[in-house]
Amino acid sequence: MRFISPAFQDVIAARQRRPAYRIYAWDPSQVAISEIASAPSNRHATIPVPFDLTPYASEITWSDRQLSFTLADPGDLFHPDTGPYRDHLKDAAIIRLVEGDEALDEEDWITTFTGQIHGQIGWKKGRRTGQTIAKVTVFNRGETQAFKRRKITSKEYTVGTDIGIALYDICETFMGLTPKEIRLTEVVGRQFKHKVNQLAQVTPWEGICSILEVVCYQPYFDGEGKLAYVNKNLNRHPDLVLSDYTTFVETEIPERTQDAINKVKVTFLDSNLERVDSPYQQLGTAQVTTGFFSMGETLECWWSSDHKQRASGTSMRVVKSVNSGLLPVGTESYRQMDEFHGVITVEINVWVPILATVCLAEYLILAHIMDKVAGGQPVACPPGGGIGGTLPFGMTIPWGRVLQAQALIGILLIMMSIGSAQYEVWGTPYDYAYLEKQSIAIEEGLDYWLENEKEIKNDFIGTHDQADTVAVTELIWEKSMSLPRRIVIEDHPALEPGDIVALPDGRKMVVTSLSKKIKRGEVVDLTLDGGKVLAA
Amino acid sequence: MSIRKVIDWAVEDKLSQKVGNIASPFYQLYDLDGQWMWACDVDLGDEEVLRCVPVASNNRELIYAEQGRSVTLSRLNNGKWVITGLAKSLKSTVHYIYLSFTEDLYRVTQKLLKGYYIRPLTYGELGTLVPPYGYGVLPYGAQGKFKADGTFVEIMEYY
Repeated sequence: MRFISPAFQDVIAARQRRPAYRIYAWDPSQVAISEIASAPSNRHATIPVPFDLTPYASEITWSDRQLSFTLADPGDLFHPDTGPYRDHLKDAAIIRLVEGDEALDEEDWITTFTGQIHGQIGWKKGRRTGQTIAKVTVFNRGETQAFKRRKITSKEYTVGTDIGIALYDICETFMGLTPKEIRLTEVVGRQFKHKVNQLAQVTPWEGICSILEVVCYQPYFDGEGKLAYVNKNLNRHPDLVLSDYTTFVETEIPERTQDAINKVKVTFLDSNLERVDSPYQQLGTAQVTTGFFSMGETLECWWSSDHKQRASGTSMRVVKSVNSGLLPVGTESYRQMDEFHGVITVEINVWVPILATVCLAEYLILAHIMDKVAGGQPVACPPGGGIGGTLPFGMTIPWGRVLQAQALIGILLIMMSIGSAQYEVWGTPYDYAYLEKQSIAIEEGLDYWLENEKEIKNDFIGTHDQADTVAVTELIWEKSMSLPRRIVIEDHPALEPGDIVALPDGRKMVVTSLSKKIKRGEVVDLTLDGGKVLAA
Repeated sequence: MSIRKVIDWAVEDKLSQKVGNIASPFYQLYDLDGQWMWACDVDLGDEEVLRCVPVASNNRELIYAEQGRSVTLSRLNNGKWVITGLAKSLKSTVHYIYLSFTEDLYRVTQKLLKGYYIRPLTYGELGTLVPPYGYGVLPYGAQGKFKADGTFVEIMEYY
């Protein structure tokens, strides 16, 4: 309900009203609607003095979404081309309806409508009737198409941020609202559950709708042009109790010809990343070419070519070992380095290059052992003197053998350097994913073919508890809307959409829309449309 | 049937993307156009699995997609679904809350957890689920489908 001053409340309670109203207009080129909605009063130093349309206005029809009236314009004051006051009724002109009582100062009155003209007003001068009239229709701020067409991408909000902060941010950044124009507190009491939260390529209105959906609120602009909300949770006390039928003019149960929603499905992303395993399988292969003079090889083995696949429980399967020959020449080991890759290490034993070196050295040395040849060979005198002799056989070292040995060593070196092995790494690949979960509120005993479902998809809901609440609240709300109620009572300026009115017989209705035809000096009939409240 | 329901169907038909889990190994499919293509079954979270869903060609993302992985499906102009990529979300279990309405009152009568999940079988399950029982009957890594309350449903296909 709107706040009304104690003096006004007393007047309403005493049923001694002398209703009065004012219709104010502002030139949109001088002031923005945001400044008007933020100003503490309609005649404040921060905003221009409004043009008062009240003396000219008649046939005023008011609803929470639209205000229309007729202006008598004998002086052609509002002619869209030539009227001196035409700027106050041009496209985007700001119009306000203020309602109160003649017994009260205007400070105690309340603003029941704030909106803008969209397009051009109608203006007509008739020769036969002699009348000059203008037809004006003003729309609530919620009808602003810029809020509902332009796609936006918001900042990122981290886990734990209150959703109210994101809401304020979007309202200020993309809708041009000031904090004074938002009737929600900045701390709503619900936090984002996901690591990163962002609105991408949605309209600002869709954005705030989806944010407020988490707490079962539905946004709308109130009479003062401020962002307010309808609380869809009907388990609350009535805002207005009508204890008797004194103020009742009419009561009606309207016809409804649509199937009622009987199932609400809320789909959301769980805020926790869940590990999803795939079947145990070969993750990768590795081949190594190593040798006696290489002390070892280290091979990296990734589970996917893009290095993004995760795996666990990995192990190495040796397809062809470096030890598949006669001698065990080395060791092969495997270690998983992280969730994306492992390392295969082949180490050649130290004795292998030593043995190879020793063998090669031995081969070279042995190449110098002399060969015997036919015929005698003179033996030189020893350095200390003496007589030389002649041996019965000759000895020689062929130059070619030494050179052959050197060539052979080279070939062996190359051959010994080459050795190959082949490995496979097996394991269980997995990845992390946000589980898409659902909460479904459904009427009991409903056959499958009778389900009339409404689906809500909201990624700002992060837990089953939140989703359960949204699903149940939405189903009860839909059920309530399928039982429409309409009452006509004496005007009560404090009532707003979302208010619950308790009727004298104990039943309750939730108000979804209000309308009335305003007349001078008369307590008008207020039509309340809504649904029957279902209690727990 | 109401206009609203008809509109709901129309909206549903217009949906161009879904998320599902791969529910079978990949196999080759001979489609109506006379072409061989890779396909698999996809679990959309309903009772029945969507069979023979082809993989969109030239999709490098799906190189290592395996059974149980979450994939996005896109609808072609002819109304058929094809697998077009990997998804970061995965169908999971569903909370059901049953309400009864009487006059001005409602009551939450029952809360249930429904749905299925697929996970690798434990060592204990590997030896006890399939006759003649004992280790070796099922390979390590075989996966099973379970109800949300943990009740075993079936063994998924395995190599």
